[in-house]
Amino acid sequence: MLPRALPIIAAATGELVDQSAGILNLGVEGIMLIGTIVGFFTDFYTGSLLLAFLFAGVAGTLLALLHAVASISLRADQVVSGTAIWFIGWGLSGVAYRALFGNYLVPPTIAALPHLQLPVLTSIPIIGPILFGQDPAAYFILLMIVLTHYFLFHTQTGLNLRTVGEDPRTAEEMGVNPIRYRYAATMFGGFMAGIGGAYLTIAVTGTFYYDLTAGLGFIAVALIYFGKWKPLRTLVGCLVYGAVYVLFLTIQTHFLMIPYQFFAMWPYLAIVVILAAVAAKSGGPASLAKPYEKGA
Amino acid sequence: MKNITKTFPGVVADDQVNLDLFPNEIHVIMGENGAGKSTLMSVLYGMYRPDDGDILVDGKKVKIKTPIDAQALGIGMVFQHFSLIEVFTVLENFAIGRKGGKVKLNLPELEARILAAEREYGLSVDLKRKVRELSIAEKQKAEILKVLFMGARVLILDEPTSMLTPQEASALFKSLQSFKKEGKTVVLITHKLYEILEVADRVTVLRKGRVVLESAREEVTPSILTEATMGRSLTAQEYPREAAPSTGTLAISRLSVKGDRGETAVSSTTFDVHRGEILGIAGIAGNGQRELVEAIVGLRKSQSGRIQLEGEEIGGKAVRERMRLGLRYVPEDRKGRGVALNLPLTYNALMRDHWSAPFEQKHILNFGAATKFAKEIISEFGVVCSSESARAASLSGGNLQKFIVGRELLRPTRYVIAENPTAGLDMAATDYVRRTLVDHRNAGNGILLVSGDLDELIAVSDRIIVMYRGQTSLPVPRKEFDKLKIGELMLGQGFQSL
Repeated sequence: MLPRALPIIAAATGELVDQSAGILNLGVEGIMLIGTIVGFFTDFYTGSLLLAFLFAGVAGTLLALLHAVASISLRADQVVSGTAIWFIGWGLSGVAYRALFGNYLVPPTIAALPHLQLPVLTSIPIIGPILFGQDPAAYFILLMIVLTHYFLFHTQTGLNLRTVGEDPRTAEEMGVNPIRYRYAATMFGGFMAGIGGAYLTIAVTGTFYYDLTAGLGFIAVALIYFGKWKPLRTLVGCLVYGAVYVLFLTIQTHFLMIPYQFFAMWPYLAIVVILAAVAAKSGGPASLAKPYEKGA
Repeated sequence: MKNITKTFPGVVADDQVNLDLFPNEIHVIMGENGAGKSTLMSVLYGMYRPDDGDILVDGKKVKIKTPIDAQALGIGMVFQHFSLIEVFTVLENFAIGRKGGKVKLNLPELEARILAAEREYGLSVDLKRKVRELSIAEKQKAEILKVLFMGARVLILDEPTSMLTPQEASALFKSLQSFKKEGKTVVLITHKLYEILEVADRVTVLRKGRVVLESAREEVTPSILTEATMGRSLTAQEYPREAAPSTGTLAISRLSVKGDRGETAVSSTTFDVHRGEILGIAGIAGNGQRELVEAIVGLRKSQSGRIQLEGEEIGGKAVRERMRLGLRYVPEDRKGRGVALNLPLTYNALMRDHWSAPFEQKHILNFGAATKFAKEIISEFGVVCSSESARAASLSGGNLQKFIVGRELLRPTRYVIAENPTAGLDMAATDYVRRTLVDHRNAGNGILLVSGDLDELIAVSDRIIVMYRGQTSLPVPRKEFDKLKIGELMLGQGFQSL
């Protein structure tokens, strides 16, 4: 359940910071896909997990920068720009895979991440392996979402950032540069989505295939709405999603006569239902997806 | 401020304005809408760059490029829409953008310092509450405290009482008096006469971007201020008027209407528009004129009261039904409400009457008739356009207005509601629209003309009533038109305070 949830947690952490500054990036999906291929490729050729995650994050940052230029500096419609980013990531990851690995009959794989094996602690029944038996990247992602909560609600910079998301004009009047904050937030969002994508290939599947994320980026965006722009609430949403996913995966193996797509559909459907129930009364940052023009 | 000039495309907002501000004074800047008061203060606060002129602080020339520059010089401004984040607490709002502190927010330390400031300035605000839970007066208090806390020596308030109750307003004035005693300069932008008489030490009156009066409080009287604000020049243009028989009435009685925020915008108003007359409604924008018009036309629900068109109650009827009974409407918002910008003039011509012959026959629209009507409007009203199939958006503001006025007035009607029909038009177009209205009056139609331009009302109206804070005055007949007297009414003189 946790490995399935972690890519979404990473992506949602970044997107949450992004949206708190007023930038909606629907391109997370595409950025995650770029992260999957860059992470996989780096790991495959260098064998360095650290480099794999780092490069995936940097690639995500660069793609997010494109969204930042379009939506912050050029004041393009963020939904349109984000959708373009999604398509770029989607197409580019598929093409890159073919270009880098050719057409294998048996897809290349990498070794899964080593899990921590702390003596004593991991041997505690049930909670032992869950709490202490994860891989290092998992702890990094979980730490990031907790730190993000602290950052947004307990630091000066976090308050400034949320002001930018609520009313950039007021922010500017109080000496906070909205443009700079929005750029930084969007790039952080890209970095974390890249990490999330890399986690998927490196720690979960061990291989790359076309459209690997299958909508995880959009689920991350949806779970931010569910979490009402609060990191810890969003984390809960991600974990529940992970549990639902694993549940249906398990059920599926017991009903082989039913097409697997039928089960694969449910987690997405659950998201729609949850959003319909929650979204009506959720209030996001007041200036979300609204471009800021100085002095206008 | 010396020789400040600021122009916007097509308008000179401020023309070589000089203004001196001193400590220990409340300086009121007065003027009509568009006189350049707010622009002048926005220049001082760094929101706009002046085209020309200098700003000197303590004798030294300064450049104010942003509000941050202004704040550093001790200049703070409180806008009508506050610079507060609704979902934050008051305390968090004070903490935005603070520099030099630690990474972690230190709210308790900040709170202690704000509480000290609260005591110093005699303003108490609940710092722990979210801004959205506060009343407008409380938000304003928080905003003023914030501006003072950030070190303002000059406190500029833009129409601070426009949304306050009289009690809240007098509490605010008491605070302003105490800031003055502490050596601050308070600048109050207003067009309300009684506020000036109550709190001002000095008054500057702006009209059409120029300073027309600058004087100490003791030296001004209501009539001097009114004259300075409104100007004395009476319009030279005369329109031929014929005695028109009055054969019917649009009667408004005890009509109350709520505004967008649920406040009472029109309170128990009663007046009649007779056929064969132009009834002018004067008043400074925002005193309930818009809501009144919308209620009569059917775009806004009235709370109580009656609207009777020649004896028939129309208050509950749909817009189309009211139009069918003989009401036409020239809206102020010509691009938003008057036309569909992206459609050709032909379509726009049939819009008001798309449900009636000859434009609609057996549920089929007759575009032949629409084209003919569009051509008629264009030739009768001299609308400059490429052809009747030109998009409405391609017309200039004046030509668009001529087209709308033509559409509303060329079809048979009994009453016309016109809302600032000449706003933004050049002299020739203005003259044409006014002439058309008078022609309609002469032809025996009743016209309700809402206008912010007193000269216009005096030029064409048979009677004028003044709207102030949702109330209407008794009608002033044409032979008793007196610009100064009507001007005083517009500024609230003679209205019982609410």
